[in-house]
Amino acid sequence: MRRFLLSISDGRGFDIGLVSVPLAFLFAMAGLPLIYNIVMSFQEVDMFSLGTFARPFVGFKNYVTLFSLPETWPILGNTAVFVIASIAGQFTIGFGLALFFWTGFPGSSWLRGLFLVSWIMPGLVVGAIWNWILSGDFGVLNYILRESGLISDNIFWRSDPDFSLWAVVIANIWLGISFNMILLSVGLSAISQDLYEAAELDGANVIQRFYTITLPMMRSTIGAIISLGLIFTLQQFDLFAAITAGGPNNSSNVAQYWAWDLSFRQYDFAQGATVSVIMIVFVMIASVVYVRSTRHEVRG
Amino acid sequence: MNLALRDKFMLAAAFLLAAIYLFPLYWMYVTALKTGSAMFASPPSLWPSDPQWGTYGSVWESRNVGRYLWNSLVIASGAVSLIVILGTGCAYVLARYRNVWVDIGLFLILMLQVLPASLMITPIFVGFSQLGLLDYPRTAVILAIAAKSMPFFVVLVRATFMSVPMELEEAALVDGNSRLGAFFNIVLPLARNGILVSAILIFMQAFGEFVYSKSMIQAIEYQPASVGLNSFMGPNTNEWNNIMAYAAMYVTPILATFVLLQRRIVSGLTSGALK
Repeated sequence: MRRFLLSISDGRGFDIGLVSVPLAFLFAMAGLPLIYNIVMSFQEVDMFSLGTFARPFVGFKNYVTLFSLPETWPILGNTAVFVIASIAGQFTIGFGLALFFWTGFPGSSWLRGLFLVSWIMPGLVVGAIWNWILSGDFGVLNYILRESGLISDNIFWRSDPDFSLWAVVIANIWLGISFNMILLSVGLSAISQDLYEAAELDGANVIQRFYTITLPMMRSTIGAIISLGLIFTLQQFDLFAAITAGGPNNSSNVAQYWAWDLSFRQYDFAQGATVSVIMIVFVMIASVVYVRSTRHEVRG
Repeated sequence: MNLALRDKFMLAAAFLLAAIYLFPLYWMYVTALKTGSAMFASPPSLWPSDPQWGTYGSVWESRNVGRYLWNSLVIASGAVSLIVILGTGCAYVLARYRNVWVDIGLFLILMLQVLPASLMITPIFVGFSQLGLLDYPRTAVILAIAAKSMPFFVVLVRATFMSVPMELEEAALVDGNSRLGAFFNIVLPLARNGILVSAILIFMQAFGEFVYSKSMIQAIEYQPASVGLNSFMGPNTNEWNNIMAYAAMYVTPILATFVLLQRRIVSGLTSGALK
């Protein structure tokens, strides 16, 4: 007993104790649910069998049912559009801003810090603000677009099936600019200035320098940021809950919202788990790409 | 071009960009001060002619904002305490050693970090209801948030521990400290700032958490402010000045913390996510 206590306070037991408790906690709270999720996707779950573990297994029936639903493919398509449009917008604007602030002028680092505000705001608050800005009759965005002559009639962003998904995309781009910009800034500041001086002496202009130095030097950073953007975009739930709730008629529904909607609105936990399993596979693939592109950092 | 002139031009452009970017926040505060009719005026005015400061008081009373914010505070504090107590030691061990087990542990932690909450809530909800945890809804949410955010905390704090020189700890061991003593007297005080900033970041995330609270807390008196805001926004709502006042009361403490600690938060975020 004494040796055991001594090991806890002054030996290998100290390290093992420190690391095993949190890992056990994470396994219980994240690992087991992950396994349970897969199990449920092969079971028949309804309100009556919710409280028991002994539920009938139905094989791949849930998956077959899922892909025979008429809304499945449109929702998966929406998810792809949402992810690609969000990442394209966030990355382009974020890269532009990062390059702009990188030129360096008095006050640039302070002003750049302001662009991080959206990162720490609760998603529901961001959603509420954009819900109001995008409002059809009285929204300020419609007013700006009308006055600048881009549109003649108001766009009903939240209730028009052609625009509802884009309403969420706009809000999500605003939300995601900050992390793209700051991580790209970090990558830019790591490029040696000597390279640019040498290129300038050789007579390369700004555009040539961007394509021959900045982009190649940033390749691993860009890869990491795009896979991180994919991960964050697939986590986006709050904006859907706050702006469109997936509607009208699923036109702005995406898989991560649909999974929740199936479980907690339609109480179809088996279908919810099935959608979850499919999406988690996608997220896992993205995170493997991310971990590989930052491995040198992870190892220290 | 003259260098000073260029600086001025760039500064003006930067202010313009910041103004465009921060417009949604500005619009929240301005709308909260407008009267019911000024809110729907066309063209919309950029400045409230008749600021209604009373909106804040009446929304605070009628929507019970105090109770919602208190619940957010309880949930966020509980989750952060749990994460700091469990995560700090884990980050320390992962920073101190270099071997294949540490690599595997880090890989698993990074993988857990990416699981979307809206996908994990289905099994967590069913599992918790079978264990009877849903009878204590705020505790259930605290546990779920802690599991969700701990990986991020571990990654951030590990970077802090890596910057603490191992020689200092070894010197303390030579001087007769036990591992436990060296950890609490030498390593923890040196890493205090990094742990604090990471804890604040996690706190702000947990303060705005929505999916778990929305799904697991049915009783309105235990719901946090995010769920309260969601139920305030019906599909055909038109009391946007009240909603914006609610949102302003919710987000202002977070924004104030951010402005005060901006420099540290930025460096904390960037050191953890990428280098």
